[in-house]
This record gives sequence, structure tokens and C-alpha cells, in this order.
Amino acid sequence: MNTATFIAKNALRNKRRASLTVLSVAVSCALLVTLLTLQRELTIPPESEAASLRVIVRNKVSLAQPLPAKQLATLDKIPGIVAVSPFTFFGGNFRDETVTSFAQFAVDPARFAGLIVEGKIAGGSYEDFVKDRNSCLVGADTMKRYGLKIGDKMRFTGTFYPVDLDLRIAAVFQGTVDDRGVFFHHKLLDELLGDIGTVGTWYIRVASASVANDVIARVNKAFENTAAEVRAETERAFQMSFISMLGNVKLLIGSISSVVVFTLMLVTVSTMSMAIRERFRELAILKALGYRRRELFSFILAESFGLAALGATIGIGGAWAFWTFTDLQKLTKGFLIYFEVTQRIIATGAVVAVLLAIIAAIAPSIAVARMSVVEGLKTLD
Amino acid sequence: MSPENIVSIRDLSKVYQQGEINVTALSNISLDIRSGEFLALMGPSGSGKSTLLHIIAGIDRPTSGQCMVQGIDVTQLGESELADWRNQNVGFVFQTFNLIPVLTAYENVELPLLLTSLKGRQRRELVMTALELVGLGDRARHLPKQLSGGQEQRVAIARALVTDPGLVVADEPTGNLDSQSAQEVMAILQSLSRSGSKTVIMVTHDPKAAAFGSRSIHLEKGELVDGGSGVGAQPLEHTLRQ
Repeated sequence: MNTATFIAKNALRNKRRASLTVLSVAVSCALLVTLLTLQRELTIPPESEAASLRVIVRNKVSLAQPLPAKQLATLDKIPGIVAVSPFTFFGGNFRDETVTSFAQFAVDPARFAGLIVEGKIAGGSYEDFVKDRNSCLVGADTMKRYGLKIGDKMRFTGTFYPVDLDLRIAAVFQGTVDDRGVFFHHKLLDELLGDIGTVGTWYIRVASASVANDVIARVNKAFENTAAEVRAETERAFQMSFISMLGNVKLLIGSISSVVVFTLMLVTVSTMSMAIRERFRELAILKALGYRRRELFSFILAESFGLAALGATIGIGGAWAFWTFTDLQKLTKGFLIYFEVTQRIIATGAVVAVLLAIIAAIAPSIAVARMSVVEGLKTLD
Repeated sequence: MSPENIVSIRDLSKVYQQGEINVTALSNISLDIRSGEFLALMGPSGSGKSTLLHIIAGIDRPTSGQCMVQGIDVTQLGESELADWRNQNVGFVFQTFNLIPVLTAYENVELPLLLTSLKGRQRRELVMTALELVGLGDRARHLPKQLSGGQEQRVAIARALVTDPGLVVADEPTGNLDSQSAQEVMAILQSLSRSGSKTVIMVTHDPKAAAFGSRSIHLEKGELVDGGSGVGAQPLEHTLRQ
């Protein structure tokens, strides 16, 4: 026998309790990893170089307020702007779906081409899209998800606007941060709505990242004291503010994660305390045989660490495998496409498990250190 | 301390604080125990005999006085030094055997040796020698629950002997055994003492068990009945008559 065997035999002496402890640590770690991944997915800003070149202009009052289409002429004249297109969220339900599984935007196809830098056309023809006002440009993920092909029809029932769309797929794009969206002609939307002369937002590409702030300032200034004052911001800032409309997601998920960790800590501390409490007499015997406080602390810590490490491996590994090999798009009906359990999140889960093992070992170790051999021998089995 | 004395106690007192009340467990005990003796500590419950045994074995501390064991004043040792000293010098035998239930007889006996720098093969030799000494060489792989009470106590004795300590302390070693097993256990303890290699100090209520010892002393209310260094000793015939 060696010390490791002794520790393992002690840790597994009550197999049901050990299994339940490992399981509770595993489930909590899996939950923690899932929450941290969700938090990252919901709050991560687009980090591509192209995203820093794009500026979104919206109504200063709120995102829901439209902007006058005539603003385009003013925007075209602002120095530093390379391309600009209307960008209006349609929000329709595809086929018989009851929720909006992916976004549809009305754009000016001729101008929009200059805005997409990181993507590429993976099928069909962009020229075809530009020429046919009843056509659309579709993301590769959506094509794959619904088994669509070039020339197929896509019908959308309007939920935000009182009109429906009947579009022909002209081209497919891929390679962007989000390959789900559908883009169609703003002119079609204008026609259907009776030429009301508004757009949702303006989508701008600036000449370089270094002039982005100047362009934003110029755009804001250009519409100051008009009937439709605007708020221009980078795509990254816009997405972050859009997420904030959901509430403080970071705080919410952070709070839930803290509760998970705290509950996990209580479970582990309680289990370790019980496990040590019922072995007080045996630990007193070990003390009598010559084992010192630090050796007994090592035993308790190793036992606690072993259970936590096993639970963490199962929980974190399980969460990684589940989120890596699950068709998330199908599972969440398109709400989430990517759910990457990063190395950083795995490391965070592992650190939490290690800290937990140490914290769980502290209270029983103090109790054992304080216990005299004579007191321990009096403890009932 | 005389060279032949393994234990020399002078003016030893132990007072427990229970709330605002002081309870005297031992009062000015002075006692010498010779090397190779088999001493039976007798007395009614609460007389302080277990407390005295615990102090001699270095698992309890006196309130005052001196307790020299093998030339070392154990009352002056720090926590870690005392732990090392116990590992090398004292073997423990308890009333309830106190074996670790998840470990085999072999592993239980091996426990004190894990603190030494001995290699696995050396440990194995010592463990098997100790188990064979108590007649349980063939039960090495058995768990405590697979052994009888007498066998468990013999494993505990093997554990007490495996580090080859000069002193073996036994607290009511036959208290949980039937008469046959008690006889066997006492015979082993007696043989340790008779071979001259070990000093055995045993706490017992049982005059039959005490009769195996070479000397018995009586405590009452924390004091030796006749007081003084070894003066409390009574001949075995007297013990048996009682």
C-alpha cells in the first residue's frame, strides 16, 4: 500500500456518497461552463477587422424609430464614407414558423456589395441578386438548415410590417460572423409599404478604422437639429447596445453562475465535513500512530481534490462534448449557431473546481488539527 | 532516572476544566516503570488510570509535573516532535481495536511504516513478521470485518509492534473479547514483556488480565493507592485475591 492507495480507499469507502458528490460537482461544472459560454456568445462583440470599418446609424430616439430615406443624399457627401446602404430589419417568419428564426434585412443591393468585406459569394450570382428586385441573398447556414438551393422560393410572413415577402434565392454568401441572414431589395419593401420614404438604419463603411470616429462625429453633426436626429456608432458598439436591450445579460448570467458555484461549494464542503466527521476516531488513531497535522491535511485535501477533479472532468468534458457535437442551430431553432466552449472557459471551470476542493478541505482540516487524540478516540463510530 | 527505568514520572498532575469546575484526574503521581516490565494499571472508573496511560504514551499532556520516557521528557515536546516520537517509540493497543475498516489486516499493520523511509519490500518483511508473531500471517488480505474480535485485536497488536517500539500501551485490551480470545491476547502481551524486548503498560478492570502482568498498581481519585515511586505496586497474589 502507498499513500495514494490509502487516500483512494478512504475517498471511495462510501461509494454512494462519493458517486453523488462527483455527480453534483459534474452537473454544477457543466452548468457553469454552459452559462459562461452563453454569456460569451451573447456579449462577444464582432471582432473582425471589417467590423471596425462599419458604422450603423439609427434614430437617436430609439432603434424602433425609422429614419427618413432622404438622409442618403447627405450621407453620400460626408468625407470618409466609402459605401452606405439602407439597412432595415424585416422580422418575418419563414414558411409556417411561428418565430423569427433568422433575420431578414432590406438593403440596396448595389450599395450593399461594398459593405460586406469578409464574406464571399458561395453560390449563384450577386449580379442576379442586384438585377431582380424579387430576389434575395441568403446565408449558407440557412441554406443548409432548410435544404434550400438557388432558385428556390422563400416566403416570409411579416410580423413587424403588415406585408409578406415572396423571394427567389439568387445568391448565397458565407464567411461572415453570422451566415444566417437574408438580404433583399429595399425597393421591394418600399413598394409593398407604399413608398413611405423611411429606412430602419443606415449601414456605412468607412475608409479606415482610424477615421471611424471622425465619420461618426460628422454623421451625428450632419443631422443635428433635424426632425430625425441620428446616433451613429461602430457595428461593435451597436451590437453591444442591442444586447443591452435584453437587460444586463452579463450581470444576470454572472449572478446565476455565482449561485451555481456557491451551491456547489456548499454541497462539497458539507460532503467533505460529513466524510471527515464520521472518521474522526480513525484520524485520531492515525495521530496516535505518529501522523502529523500536515499529513492529515494532505490526506483530506487529496481526497477532496480527487472527488472535485473527477466531477470537474466529467462535467466540463461532458459540457464540451455536448456543445461541440450537438446541432445547436436545430436545438435552439436558430437562436444560437455557434456555442464554442473555449479553452479559457474550460480553464475557468477547472480553476473553480480546484478552489472548491481547497475550500472544502479547510474546515475539516481545522477540525482535525484542533482535535486531540484523546478527544478523537472518544468519538463514537 | 535510574538506567533500568524506561518510565519515570514525578509529581504529575492533570486537571480538566469543565466550565467553571476543575476536575482533578491525576494528583501528584510519582512512579517508576522498569524496562521489560508488564505493568497493570488498575482502579475504578474515573480513577485516572487511562489519563496516566495517555500521558505516558504522549497523546495527552499533564497540567504539571514531569514524565520521562526513555530519557525524554515527553511533556516538553512540540506537537510534531511528539508525533514522531510516538511513531518510533510507542505501540498502541485499544479496547475497540481501532482498525481502519477499508484496509486489510496487512495494510492496517503497514500504516505506521508509511511514515518511515523504508522501501516497500522492507515494509513487507516487517509487516509479515509482525502478523506471524501474532499468528495471523495467513489472514493478511482479510478486512477487519472478516476477522473475529480476537483476531482484530491481534492485528492491532501487530500494528503496535511493527515499528519495534520500546513501549507498548494497552487500554483495556480484553474489554471487548470473550474469555478465550482475551487469554490469547494477554498471552501475546505477556510474551512481549517476558522476552525482555518490550515494556507493556496495560489499563484494565479485569483482575484475570492483570494477573498476566509482572506488577500492578492501583489508582483511586487520581492518586496511587499507596503513593510514591513504585510503592503503589502490589503483588499479583493480592490482585488475584481482590
